[in-house]
Amino acid sequence: MSFLDEARKLLRENIREYGMFIALFVIMAYFAFATDGLFISSRNIVNLVNQTGYIAVLAVGMTLVIVIRHIDLSVGFLAGFLGAVAAISMTSWNLSVYLTIPLVLGLGILAGLLTSTLVAELGIPAFVATLAGWLGYRGALQLATRATGTIIIPNDTFNAIGNKFIPDIPDIGILPEIHKVTLLLGLLGIVLFVSSEILNRSRLQKQGIEGLSTPMFIIKVLFVSALIGGIAWILAGYQGLSWTAVVILLVAIIYDFITRRTVLGRHIYAVGGNPEAAELSGISVKRITHTVFASMGMLAALSGILFASRLQSATTTAGTLFELDAIAAAFVGGVSAAGGVGTVIGSLIGALVMTSLTSGMNLMGIDISYQYIVRAIVLAAAVIFDVTTRNLRK
Amino acid sequence: MEQTTERSPVVELQGIKKHFGAVQALRGVDLALHHNEVLGLLGDNAAGKSTLMKVLSGAYIPDGGQILIEGQEVHFANPMDARRKGIEMVYQDYALANNLDVSANVFMGREVVRVKLGPIGVLDYRYMEKETRNLLARLKIDITSVRQKVERLSGGQRQAVAIARATAFDAKVIIMDEPTAALSVAAIDKVIDLVRELKAQGSSIIIISHRLEDIYRVSDRMIVLRQGRKVTDTPVEGELHDFREKVVAYMIGARDDYRDSTAG
Repeated sequence: MSFLDEARKLLRENIREYGMFIALFVIMAYFAFATDGLFISSRNIVNLVNQTGYIAVLAVGMTLVIVIRHIDLSVGFLAGFLGAVAAISMTSWNLSVYLTIPLVLGLGILAGLLTSTLVAELGIPAFVATLAGWLGYRGALQLATRATGTIIIPNDTFNAIGNKFIPDIPDIGILPEIHKVTLLLGLLGIVLFVSSEILNRSRLQKQGIEGLSTPMFIIKVLFVSALIGGIAWILAGYQGLSWTAVVILLVAIIYDFITRRTVLGRHIYAVGGNPEAAELSGISVKRITHTVFASMGMLAALSGILFASRLQSATTTAGTLFELDAIAAAFVGGVSAAGGVGTVIGSLIGALVMTSLTSGMNLMGIDISYQYIVRAIVLAAAVIFDVTTRNLRK
Repeated sequence: MEQTTERSPVVELQGIKKHFGAVQALRGVDLALHHNEVLGLLGDNAAGKSTLMKVLSGAYIPDGGQILIEGQEVHFANPMDARRKGIEMVYQDYALANNLDVSANVFMGREVVRVKLGPIGVLDYRYMEKETRNLLARLKIDITSVRQKVERLSGGQRQAVAIARATAFDAKVIIMDEPTAALSVAAIDKVIDLVRELKAQGSSIIIISHRLEDIYRVSDRMIVLRQGRKVTDTPVEGELHDFREKVVAYMIGARDDYRDSTAG
């Protein structure tokens, strides 16, 4: 098999997995060109990541919810409400930030379990149950902020999550303008990636399984390494890795591991693929439903924390339409509405695509009305792509 | 079945009764399956075949009667109970998750764990894939990769995966509900071969089918149900033509070996 043939075959077989990376790359390249490089400036990329944060974590949770054939419309206002609770906790109850964050995450889990009880135990369609949540949390947010209006959060530690960067080692003369810890982390990422790829490959070969050909393998490893290195370099050129980026990375790593490597993840996809078969195999569909909605609630709380921290305040309308942005991000990232299909990383890329569109079009000074229409087209195109490539593979 | 008659049957159902509201689905059915035997279960629609097998596989709890496995009485509260006792059911619609690969389906609900971090078990991919490859090879099932998603397999291959899954955990009894119903002729032959292979390797099997020639080709013995009662329990022998005529006679009620012994 020639190199080009292999490339073509790989592209055809993995078009769904690669499609969103290609889309993100094309969008970023276009904006970089259209804004004379402003779009990929360090400062803008850092902003982009911080703007993506509160939608990205919701999109991760939403991915699993959609995988098990449900939906959660309540998470936007739940995030807004829990952000307000965090603000009140620190300003009125005088709880420390280290107590506030676990408390709010715990409340998020409880809210998720309330939803899953309606869905799994009482058999109420998730659309209806979470629409009720959407109304309820909206009211709760307004009640929580009624007395004071916008609640200013004076806590520097809390506000750092959405605005500050990880510390750097003191200046030692080399690379004075560059954030060295970020570069080192990028390097560590590359080393970990390359070594795990090589280990994996040799293990597969020992079992006699044909993987990628050697040139293709080298290209893949070089490409991903260059990507990690490039991102680290761009981030390091401004102020380094933001705390929001750290949160996204942690959520991504943990959820990617759980979905791909653990029994729980396997069961979530089994329930999504065929709930009856999963139940017959001894998998408790109820337990999986509770777990997935609890995780969604916790991530909604995290989203609320990220947003409140970024604005350094809890506002009366925080969280409005977050849920729809998260759902759109998940679908752009390859999640299938039929259930059972979709990855955490895909949804993160989907969130990045949607925020990139907003950010790029803002930089180009495009009217907000057109921005909505462009995003509509991208969402529709992503789903059309998903449907057509699925039929193509069969 | 020379040597097996001395051991107790692998499964014995005695006087199984089940009703749904006013409808008597099973009116006291006896059934015995011997070791390494293939038993065909026949009957018209609503004769009680599926109900009887759902009782045996733990999906229904009978109103009366006993279930014995190797002479021991057992009670099933759900299908998992039955599976733990070695009763495996292959469902008509395969009961596979099409979005997962072959290996994941074979081990669905019984995943092998490499490390346990609190409640989180880390999957042992290598072991499960190796075992699946061995299993497919042993049953001579033709599937190129255990990492292939089930949605990309043909109907016959899916049925083979469903059957392979049922045999993966040392099942005592494999129940197949209409294993050939949705398949092409070529695929039916492969499933028949697979059933023969399983028998050759020592399995005990019950097959429900509408297709009389499938039962004829693989079964040692057959039971015909009619209106919730057993009307015959006899070895499968003779010409296909005679067999067919005989079965139809039992199915429509023209013949009945047990008419006097049970009252409706």
